[in-house]
Amino acid sequence: MLNASEIRAELAARRKNYSLSRALYCDEGVYQADLEQIFYREWLFAVPAAELPKTGSFATLQVGAYPVILTRGSDGTIRAFHNVCRHRGQRLCSKASGTSPKLVCPYHQWTYELDGKLLYARDMQEDFDASAHGLKKVHCVDIGGMVFICLAEVPPPIADLAKTLGAYLAPSGIKTAKVAFQSTIVEKGNWKLVIENNRECYHCGGSHPSLCRTYSDNPRMTAMEGPDAASPDILAHWARCEAAGLPSRFINHPKMQWRLARIPLLNNAESYTMSTKAAVTGMRMGEMPFNDAGSLLFFHYPNTWNHFLADHAIVFRVLPLSATETQVTTTWLVPADAVEGKDYDLKTLTEVWEATNDEDRQVVEENQAGILSPAYEPGPYSTVQEEGVIQFVDWYCDTMSERLGDAPALAAE
Amino acid sequence: MARVNWTAEPWHESEMLECAMVVPETPNTSTFTFRAPSGAWFDYEPGQFITLDLPVPGGNVQRTYTISSSPSRPLSISLTVKAQSDSIGTRWMLDHLKPGMKIRAWGPAGIFSFRRHQADKYLFISAGSGITPMMSMTTWAWDSGEMPDITFVHSARRPSEIIFRERLEQFANRVPGLQLRFTVEKPDPFRAWNGYQGRLNQIMLGLMAPDYLEREVFCCGPEPFMASVREMLISLGYDMERYHQESFGLAVASEAEAPALDDVVLDDAARSEITFTASGVTQSCAETDTVLAVAKRAGLNIPSGCTFGLCGTCKVKKTAGEVHMVHNGGISDDDIEAGYILACCSNPMGKVSVEI
Repeated sequence: MLNASEIRAELAARRKNYSLSRALYCDEGVYQADLEQIFYREWLFAVPAAELPKTGSFATLQVGAYPVILTRGSDGTIRAFHNVCRHRGQRLCSKASGTSPKLVCPYHQWTYELDGKLLYARDMQEDFDASAHGLKKVHCVDIGGMVFICLAEVPPPIADLAKTLGAYLAPSGIKTAKVAFQSTIVEKGNWKLVIENNRECYHCGGSHPSLCRTYSDNPRMTAMEGPDAASPDILAHWARCEAAGLPSRFINHPKMQWRLARIPLLNNAESYTMSTKAAVTGMRMGEMPFNDAGSLLFFHYPNTWNHFLADHAIVFRVLPLSATETQVTTTWLVPADAVEGKDYDLKTLTEVWEATNDEDRQVVEENQAGILSPAYEPGPYSTVQEEGVIQFVDWYCDTMSERLGDAPALAAE
Repeated sequence: MARVNWTAEPWHESEMLECAMVVPETPNTSTFTFRAPSGAWFDYEPGQFITLDLPVPGGNVQRTYTISSSPSRPLSISLTVKAQSDSIGTRWMLDHLKPGMKIRAWGPAGIFSFRRHQADKYLFISAGSGITPMMSMTTWAWDSGEMPDITFVHSARRPSEIIFRERLEQFANRVPGLQLRFTVEKPDPFRAWNGYQGRLNQIMLGLMAPDYLEREVFCCGPEPFMASVREMLISLGYDMERYHQESFGLAVASEAEAPALDDVVLDDAARSEITFTASGVTQSCAETDTVLAVAKRAGLNIPSGCTFGLCGTCKVKKTAGEVHMVHNGGISDDDIEAGYILACCSNPMGKVSVEI
């Protein structure tokens, strides 16, 4: 198990544009450092607001050692709390999601309002101060229907992302959508392998035959250097979308922690379906003007990537469970008034990404299995195909190096 | 010896009232002060109302308003009116009634006054513009020098919509007996709020006035608000003979006009019967028993916590019959719709079946 200075050394020794060392993907000490330096400090995508449709709706998630609960209060506001009773520390809510008018500890029925205030604790002594025992808050922000949380006491700035994501998402109607389906899988691989795999399409041709019916594996499509690098068909797509009120151009965080871009699907495909046609018929998401608007891609490190289409949206949440296990939750969103069986069919809606997720799971698990071999050594990324991976790994290594601090200077003797 | 002040006779409705002052109180709410041009003074009971003849376009309408001033300050009379979205008469007052204008009026009248129900301690409960008779009675109490013990509970949408807040705080700052307890639906943006928040419920009432059972209650507000107050008090065992209400929708002129309240009042003598379907047990009981207590007596287990409808631990499915449930927010409307009840605060009314 590596300590901080050993991790620093691993990061310093990495070769640019090469995959990371075995320890950085497998070591328990690195896993703990990843949690402490990244997952406990960054804004994380938690749930789509649509998962909490009404007063009393709740959802829980586990971030490393922290159980977290999100609720929607009677004022409509979504809030996040540490999912820990202030009495004797019981985990307050063990269910993944549901609806409850109050948050009640199952141990001694301490009862909290949906805004975290302790309403009632039976038979506590006279001088007991209920107002000092409300649930501990977790920073929480709802950006256009995507709810982010941050466990840090002082979270990093999110205003730029909020502004940009808010503007890009608005036409996609995520705020007013409903959850059509959700799947949670565990991939036996390090969380960084899961993100790396998502950030390239070098593997798509070999692994994702159903996705490749509609999604272009042209690397220039998703790992663009900037507007000038876009091909004429992408420029034409942007012009058409922006004329129709859809913000579309490639936009990213200066250090590539997040990016938004609206890309066309192959041959004017409408959605990620086997037929290439929209899965939800007769209506579109939000204010989407036409079916073949392509996909608005959004990723935010360390834990989410997303596709917003004209007829539905798919949001992904990545949470590390151990050094070599990662939970991936996928949520399919459709317009709120879409009726299953009438306006869409669940199989048509979900089959391509259900298959793609499972294919990715196998890829990541085999990748992890190989890296666990003592014979593994970092290999070179393709600068043609794996720009996205290089950007992610650079972001990861820079962030970790910075946060673990500079190597202590050696005193000259 | 000649009297210095009260040489005139009290005002009579044969004289039109002259608008003397208009003061905005909160959004859509203003206080209109009237005087009698003859110099007459106003004689009425605090809590009573007056009826105005308002010359709105399309023909006069008559509207009844509780007097917000106190007869202890008899030189003028004030009405504090709040325009609801569909208002005609009050809207006209807010938009057109200006000092100098004269209005025909009838009254004062009404039976809603604490002077008719003397007590040592009062509990005033109001919502929105239902605060006006409470303000009149509180001012009277202050001016009379007697200042009985009043717990003043008021419910508003936002702190900025609490009518008379400053005047009440001025009173409360100077006498120990007046306790102000405000609850709001939501705070104003960028203004700290340390009062209560949310709909008035039993727990809140217990915190606001722990000795409510000893107090004479006066309640004024929209009917659903007053109905929920009555329901709370009944289920808490309050003696409803000591409960008095005025609706700002329908001011009552005489005892005969007072509406009969059809609240559910459980009867100790009435027999009920609960069938616990999963256990195959049927138990006879009183209407005043709770489902939880009956289950316990029958040797059945329903997990429970607070026992007053807050924590929701004792939620069970009711499959047949009716119960009277007064909960404190521990169950959602959806669950109630789906047939769930909280066993701790549900009383069986006739034959009831629950899934236990």
